[in-house]
Amino acid sequence: MSQIYKREMVFIVAGVVAFVMILDYFFGKNIPGISGAGNLSSTLQTWALIIQLMAIGLGAINLIQVHYRQISRKTNMALYSAWFMVFFAILLLLGFYKLATGVEPYPYTWIFANVYVSLGATLYAITGFYIFSAAYRAFRARNIDAAILLIGGIFVLLANAPIGEVIWGGFPLIGNWFNNVGQVPGMRTFTVVGALGLLAYGFRALIGKERGFYSEVQ
Amino acid sequence: MSGQNIWDKLQNVDRRVFYWILFIALTVPFLSPIGLPITVTPSTQSYYDGLKSIQSGEVVVLSINSGVSAWGDCLPAMIASVHKVYDQGGKLIVWSIGYTDVDITWAKIKEKLPDVFSKWKEGENYVYFGYCPGQETNVALLATNIRAIYPKDVRGVSTDQIPLMKDINGANKIKFVLSSDTGDAQMYYIRQWKNGQVNYEKTGKPPTVAEMGIAMNKSGDMAYYLSGDEFGLVAGSRGAAELEALTGYKGDATITMDSISVSHVLLVLAIILTNISMFATRGKKK
Amino acid sequence: MIENIAVLYPTDPLAIAGLWTALFLMLAIYSYPLWKENPVYRFAEHTFVATALAIGIIVNLQSLMNTAVTPLMKGSFLMIIPIILGLCMYFLLVPKQRWVSRYPIAILVGSSLGLGIASNPLPSIINQIISTVTPPKAGTAVWAMFPGSPTGDWFSFAFVAVGCVCATTYFLLTYEHTGPVKPVTIAGRYFIMLALGAYFGNTVLFRFSMLAERGQYILKVLGLVPL
Repeated sequence: MSQIYKREMVFIVAGVVAFVMILDYFFGKNIPGISGAGNLSSTLQTWALIIQLMAIGLGAINLIQVHYRQISRKTNMALYSAWFMVFFAILLLLGFYKLATGVEPYPYTWIFANVYVSLGATLYAITGFYIFSAAYRAFRARNIDAAILLIGGIFVLLANAPIGEVIWGGFPLIGNWFNNVGQVPGMRTFTVVGALGLLAYGFRALIGKERGFYSEVQ
Repeated sequence: MSGQNIWDKLQNVDRRVFYWILFIALTVPFLSPIGLPITVTPSTQSYYDGLKSIQSGEVVVLSINSGVSAWGDCLPAMIASVHKVYDQGGKLIVWSIGYTDVDITWAKIKEKLPDVFSKWKEGENYVYFGYCPGQETNVALLATNIRAIYPKDVRGVSTDQIPLMKDINGANKIKFVLSSDTGDAQMYYIRQWKNGQVNYEKTGKPPTVAEMGIAMNKSGDMAYYLSGDEFGLVAGSRGAAELEALTGYKGDATITMDSISVSHVLLVLAIILTNISMFATRGKKK
Repeated sequence: MIENIAVLYPTDPLAIAGLWTALFLMLAIYSYPLWKENPVYRFAEHTFVATALAIGIIVNLQSLMNTAVTPLMKGSFLMIIPIILGLCMYFLLVPKQRWVSRYPIAILVGSSLGLGIASNPLPSIINQIISTVTPPKAGTAVWAMFPGSPTGDWFSFAFVAVGCVCATTYFLLTYEHTGPVKPVTIAGRYFIMLALGAYFGNTVLFRFSMLAERGQYILKVLGLVPL
């Protein structure tokens, strides 16, 4: 009995919320109180949004725990973790000042524009290097499958680059055909099969068969 | 090592050599751009035709769901699109459901279009709401109640007091959504707006969606463009360069194409080389 | 033709310091692939994590104030419920009371799944099938030289239709792929490989564009190209 509110009630809550969303989508106009601003579906969506906004603290607490452990154990990464804590605290204080006064302090703007933006762009761009070395080492026509992959890839590469048209007029024609027609069967299949999988997984989650979302009680 | 021929050595080259060659190949072409001609693909042409269909006074949404890391692919397309909306006499609502650095992106767009933003008035011709996280939940709410997500714009002005937003609180007053995204954001608009229950008043049908995405979306989202769920797809810096050619605004994407040309040829040569060495060493081993 | 608008190089010392700081941090990150792992790279990496986390928290708090706190102050007392539920999420950190956090998670899961289950089938399944089986209009050419769309000619329509059937057969795992089904699944695999090859080509464009933008940034800071 005591487990009902720890497990079964949770599935009921998730199911009811999902059911309201589905009702709103298909029958919202015909059922008063479900659809539109301020009504049940809109309210539940706002609540879900607010819960999502508040969840970032969990990630912050986890990161702080990890770095605190590095510092307390005096590992070789302790100095970097200490720098993380100090910089994080400074930026957080600047941010709280912004929230409290409504005015963004110049150091916050400066750090956002010159540190965050630059580092974010750089860290994502680093994958460009790896794709080059991966293509060089692994992109080999060992069998028919790999050969088809290779041919499709090369034609699309040379269709995307304007120089492909200069080298041979067929590259953009064939490459664009691969983009607009050739790849469609495969990509469309991924889309349909992925959507079917989402439906199946969603229903399993709603009837309580998928428990990955909920941590187990000790 | 003795016994290793050129093909064996090629297969064992330190990867850092390739990284340096690639980095130099990508950087040097910017010093003297050549400007090779660019042919326009159907998906970009459709996107441009959609922009041309904007009538004076019609409102469109620019949803910036790409970060600074995707500027190379998405920013030039956004700049060209905003310029075209201005040319057509349309009005713009700008927001983001996915990225915290949207402020920087919007500031960059305004910086690159001084001729537009010297004439456009904030609050009357365009409004910028900034970022609110929430992904699909956010998008679903925006279709029926914009004020629930954005009670005020970034200047702190209440949405009720913004002239542009006077009669607008949902998808029923919006012609279409231009979604600049790196992943699934356009799917949220396709699901909740294009296939939703709210119709655009002028057409009696739901607002349509177009995408300015990263290059990978050309593969992933081509199916949605071909099925009619998107009316246009501008993907990658190549798509952005095509859009620039169509709109007559020569921007960063066109300049980047030289760098892309050099690097792509380098990669193709590297792949051909590695396959030749594979066949050469395979024959030797036999 | 309107030319690319070049922004003037800043003269303000702090702005110039900002540009060079961004460049330094960028090169610090690139020192890892271009040279080897080193303390400067680690420093830059930790700086980014700290910045991203702090900015994420501030932005989320700002949005929270707009969507929950401000309406609550103005009299929407129902807003206290999602705020309390959001705080219940933190019971994830308390092992014995972890079950309390399941309720806000249930609302999140229910909301996302409900939205996804309801709205996903139409664009991702039904419209895709309709698009696959809809033939070209009467009078369309049998073969148009690179038409650029599946309905541009009958060959492309047949290619996509046959390809979709073969590729879908490849993913049906409830029976063994032997007998008459085997060549169909092999063909399906080839269609999928072609799609993945095209995907690779487009991925390379994306990655190289990002890297090119960073390379251009170096030249911009050095003043060799317009900012």
